Amino acid sequence: MTTTTATQSTSPARAKATSSLAASVKFRTFAVVFGISVPVIYVACELLNLPAFTYHPATNRIGLGWEAGRSGEGPAMYWYGWTVVTIVAGAVLGLLGTLIPESVAKKIPLALLWLLPILAFIPLTYSLMPFWTK
Amino acid sequence: MLISVTTFWTILLIIHGLLAIALLGALTHQAVAILMPVRQAAGGAGFVTRFRAVTGPAYATAVCVLWILTFIMGAWIYTKYRIYVRIPIEQAGFWKTQGFFELKEHAATIALGSLPIYWYFWKNAQNHDYDSARKWVTLWLAFVCWFNFLVGHVLNNVRGFGS
Repeated sequence: MTTTTATQSTSPARAKATSSLAASVKFRTFAVVFGISVPVIYVACELLNLPAFTYHPATNRIGLGWEAGRSGEGPAMYWYGWTVVTIVAGAVLGLLGTLIPESVAKKIPLALLWLLPILAFIPLTYSLMPFWTK
Repeated sequence: MLISVTTFWTILLIIHGLLAIALLGALTHQAVAILMPVRQAAGGAGFVTRFRAVTGPAYATAVCVLWILTFIMGAWIYTKYRIYVRIPIEQAGFWKTQGFFELKEHAATIALGSLPIYWYFWKNAQNHDYDSARKWVTLWLAFVCWFNFLVGHVLNNVRGFGS
């Protein structure tokens, strides 16, 4: 009787889990590719200075791509532009990743998901050298 | 106008800080639970045992939502920070302080990319294939959260909004 009760109570839960994101193989692949892509893309954006747009906070103006700060108009901000490029490109790669076979996707080393974000800080910290040496 | 412009931005900064504290608490509970798991029920146990006896998966969605909300609030007040805080900090010659803020903004975005897999790992906490990756991704997020919180706190001490 205990077994029957347990089976009846877990069946709906199992059905729910199967339909959720947490049980989706495609979501797993998306999350793995997204998690690996984001630090790589962000570092590239920062080092190569590739923002989607430049924000000029003093004048509240947005310019497409990279723009230098204009004389008398205050500083230019690139972080928003880097972040948008990173998230959008990471999401696109993640979606493309869902097209690869599950057998291939499962071979991606999961250690990259925490190693790459940590390694990203080596070039990022180096790029801030003027701040450390002034 | 009900409140001054300075008060408005200070309120936003405080909301950003409060969200960060909630996030810090949740992630620290998870990180300690994963580093020093409790093998049995914590009934009658002391503070430290109770602190690490939390159910990790229950925090996953809250951590993701809090990270995104904290990120959005931080991105919002950053527009004013760039002019009213960073420029005086540079004029005062606090270059290393500003350098750490640059690292804070980099860390916030890169950690954003870890959220989907962090959530997936915790929602599949029964799958032992993910134990190692779940532990390290959680510790990475907890480290970034503490780093960003402390850098933000120091920067606010150096020159907060309204100072």
